[in-house]
Amino acid sequence: MSELPPTTSVKRWLVTTNHKDIGILYTITALFFLLFGGVLALLIRVQLWDPANQVLSGLAYNEAVTAHGLIMVFWFLSPFGFGFANYFVPLQIGADDLAFPRLNALSYWMYLFSGVLLGISFFQGGTLNAGWTMYAPLNVPMYTPSIGSTGAVLALAMFVIGVTASTVNFLTSIHHSRAEGMGIMDMPMFTWSMLATVWMMLFAFAALLAVGLILASDRVLGSVYFSATEGGSLLWGHLFWFFGHPEVYIVFFPALGAMLELFQTFSGRRLVGRKWVIISICLISVQSFLVWMHHMFLTTINLEIKTLMMATTIGISLPFDLVVFSLIYTLIKGRIQFTTPFLFAFGALLLFILGGITGVFLGAIVLDYEFRGTYWVVAHFHYVMFGGATALFGAAYYWFPKMTGKMYDELLGKIHFVIFFIGFNAVYFSMFLGWETPRRVFEYNPAFQIYHQIGTIGAFMLGFSFFIMFYNFAKSYVSGPDAGANPWDYSRTAEWAVPSPPPLENWSNRPSYASGKLEFVKDYVPDGGPAVKTDDNGDVATDGGDSHSAHIKEYPYWDKHPSHASIWPLALSFALGVLFLGLSGFHDNVVFELGESLASTTVTISNPVYPILTVVGLVGLVASGVKWGLEDFYAPPTEFAERWPFNGVEKVKLGMWFFLASDVIVFGAFLSAAIFVRYNAGWRTWSPLTESLPGLINTFVLLTSSFTVILALVAAHRKSRQGVLASLGATIALGFTFLAIKLWEWHHEIYDVGVTIAQNSHGDPIQASIYYVTTGLHGIHVVGGLLIAIFLFVRAYQGHYMEDERPIEYFGLYWHFVDIVWVFIFPLFYLF
Amino acid sequence: MIDTVILQQGTGWRAQAEVFDEIFFVFLALGTLIGTIVVSYTLWNVYKYRDDGGEPKDDFDAPVVGELPTGQGGPKAKKLFLSFGLSAIVVISLVVYAYGILLYVEEGPDTGDEGDIEILVEGYQFGWEYEYPNGHTETGEMIVPADQRIDIEVTSRDVWHNFGSSELRIKSDAIPGETNSNWFSVSSEEVEAQGGEATYMVECFELCGSGHSAMKGQITVIPQDEWEEWYAGTGEENANGENATSIDGTTAGGVPA
Repeated sequence: MSELPPTTSVKRWLVTTNHKDIGILYTITALFFLLFGGVLALLIRVQLWDPANQVLSGLAYNEAVTAHGLIMVFWFLSPFGFGFANYFVPLQIGADDLAFPRLNALSYWMYLFSGVLLGISFFQGGTLNAGWTMYAPLNVPMYTPSIGSTGAVLALAMFVIGVTASTVNFLTSIHHSRAEGMGIMDMPMFTWSMLATVWMMLFAFAALLAVGLILASDRVLGSVYFSATEGGSLLWGHLFWFFGHPEVYIVFFPALGAMLELFQTFSGRRLVGRKWVIISICLISVQSFLVWMHHMFLTTINLEIKTLMMATTIGISLPFDLVVFSLIYTLIKGRIQFTTPFLFAFGALLLFILGGITGVFLGAIVLDYEFRGTYWVVAHFHYVMFGGATALFGAAYYWFPKMTGKMYDELLGKIHFVIFFIGFNAVYFSMFLGWETPRRVFEYNPAFQIYHQIGTIGAFMLGFSFFIMFYNFAKSYVSGPDAGANPWDYSRTAEWAVPSPPPLENWSNRPSYASGKLEFVKDYVPDGGPAVKTDDNGDVATDGGDSHSAHIKEYPYWDKHPSHASIWPLALSFALGVLFLGLSGFHDNVVFELGESLASTTVTISNPVYPILTVVGLVGLVASGVKWGLEDFYAPPTEFAERWPFNGVEKVKLGMWFFLASDVIVFGAFLSAAIFVRYNAGWRTWSPLTESLPGLINTFVLLTSSFTVILALVAAHRKSRQGVLASLGATIALGFTFLAIKLWEWHHEIYDVGVTIAQNSHGDPIQASIYYVTTGLHGIHVVGGLLIAIFLFVRAYQGHYMEDERPIEYFGLYWHFVDIVWVFIFPLFYLF
Repeated sequence: MIDTVILQQGTGWRAQAEVFDEIFFVFLALGTLIGTIVVSYTLWNVYKYRDDGGEPKDDFDAPVVGELPTGQGGPKAKKLFLSFGLSAIVVISLVVYAYGILLYVEEGPDTGDEGDIEILVEGYQFGWEYEYPNGHTETGEMIVPADQRIDIEVTSRDVWHNFGSSELRIKSDAIPGETNSNWFSVSSEEVEAQGGEATYMVECFELCGSGHSAMKGQITVIPQDEWEEWYAGTGEENANGENATSIDGTTAGGVPA
């Protein structure tokens, strides 16, 4: 553990794991991507100035369209919201930091390096040009052959891996670290919105990760999922939109949370029907997973399903109606202050109303048939998503004084709003007027030229307005007046109860809402023991409440100071970036010629750079993973906290459960893909590619290994080092046995039967792809588990885990999960 | 639901464009009305309850930092549910109305046994190919008769396209491995009005590669008798190993009377 350097040092920003530092890093990086995506948008607008204009070539235009969409949706909108969430969710719930500070840093660095990979992809023969929706089969190398296309897909995959870590972190933090007395219904609305957001992300981004991994496999390994005519295109549509629709709310909810806060703060009124707004937010989160096929009304799905999806789509608009009316009625009888943050939040509401009404149009299928693929859709989702993001700019002004300690310039802020709002409507409302233009074309009907020209002028206004904001923030940061702890008259949430900017560990004494309002409690800390909750008389409280005092005593590190610095998140993310950069050019530069046997297989390497990067990245990944595991990093659990509905679940275990829940969706998507494609190909036309015996043996091997992990846990509990070593050793041996049988099976398939990832001598090639990719993903999970098992084995040999066997328990959870997945794979690929 | 009744009683078929115009008008009118009411109401209240620096009213209960959040109940909550109920009624009735029209669009007009012409449409990078029942193929331009229901079966040879004509208000995804059905019809009055030959631009509405912008085609509608002459010629020329690409019958071989 190293000390955290001061904020003036560059090193500080490379090693910090503090949620406020990372929040600032997220915010600034997201604003950079706003500029990046914005410049691409201006290129698009310049091309559209004239229906015959050709500033960019057809391919370059498509690249600009694709990258603009990807950057704005993934690298700007969500991370911008998450910057504020990082900074303010722990403050709002009374926590010292997020649950897993190093994981938080890891998420940030993965976000940054995935963005760098996307930037690099422009120089790898051109980035992806299949649109941000990446419809199949345009997304496979036959139609988008550049290395940069693969680079962009891998950049997205890396981004999603970082997002998954962040999701698990926020879920654990909000469910595990709320201050005493803050029940789940008592959370501030911004935190509530973020909680709904991360719950949606847990499942939605898992689906995106699955579909991204399958696409990466098609592009790097040569599988043929999305070029298959047995439903390959529709498979992409279903998996992408299963993610894609919740994604709309995932990017909108942080902004909605900001609106809900700002409307209350700047009117001095409390939210109308608060409970019902929260229920609506929860309903929307659940319903968001039931509407995805309304993006596919024009595909070949049948009328019954279309009708169902139309009903669910209209259903999801109703809770939004309630939220909008609640926002409006909250303002009534208030004392509304037209500050810059309020103007942006209020503007966001107006834009969202327009976006919502035009969305109801799209819900009526007959209208959707005609709006599909036109600028109506483009205008609608910009009003919803960018309209929502408008509130996030309000949030930036609202929280700028807290984050910097300085006040921004109100006049410049208002000028920014006016230019922004006019520019916004000029560019996007003109799209409604010229809606018959097909999306993503630049040679359009000259009758619509006037609308596109208004749009282009508006776009430049919009872009310019942000420079006012940047200037305002920069100038105010350097020479603005001091803001004080609470510059707003009617703020309520806890971040305004601490200095601006807040100290490193947020609170000097423990925040508590036990009395019904925020108080800072000084806990009695016995010499050499963990903090003990006291009542008003200073006596040790005996009711225990929801405290985990019993658990805390099991922590061997209780007397340590919390850690705030680690270099390994940065190192690990960098290594993963290098690995993915290497993989992007792997398929083009490394050619395998299968001979008669493994020995006669020839490997031709045309450009050694990519394979070298792959190997270096892989080695770096394992090395920094081990260093991470060995680092003495202490993130204390919150001692007295509200944890509903996960009372009594320890922090790391809770995180592990969340992670496994998302992994269930990943495997669920892979297995659904297998079933979907087989159904399209004709279920009974396929029979298993392999014999069932090796699979059966492997089933027994894996189930036995689950049993030995339990034995290891029992042995650790009895403090028997030999027992732990023997059981873990047996688990490792069984794991390797599984892999050996698997490799034999693959070898047999490839060299004796003639089935490779892209070729199938007795059936559809896609069947071979599904077999290798699905069992391969499971195999990677086994390899990962084995690496952890070996790590635990060495540590157990050194005498660890006798006092605290929880690492073995958590590894066991993961290992059982991997075994359960196999129980689903076995019948699907070996029996039927 | 009244409109579906009218559709069934009606003597003539309603083209998709007609159906679309009606439903679009209804949605636009209601959407504009509701949007105007909500936005005006909001703007008026925001102005009315602005902080003018005066003394707060007696019932103004300013929030303080650190309070546990509570909501506002009372008359405002009642108003909230009233507005919510009204909006639900409007939205649900709109959708029920739209659903009736959807059923018509999905089924298409009933033509009895005779009359339908089925054309296979295949998208490719970057154009459209049409195959007629007699095996004749055209690229770019689809020539069809007026007053007839034209059924199209849309698919793709390579990547995902979308076959659409804004003027006719028809659109279908063209997906490799899938076949999508749609229909359209143009009346002879319309053809007459356009001077004996009505033309409609076809565009691709799904990004499909570098030539997506320029992936255009055309639907040409001509009077029935002219079309029948032309169509009979295509069969003959096919037999001669030639393709007819012009509708005025000037290709070698002529048109049988």
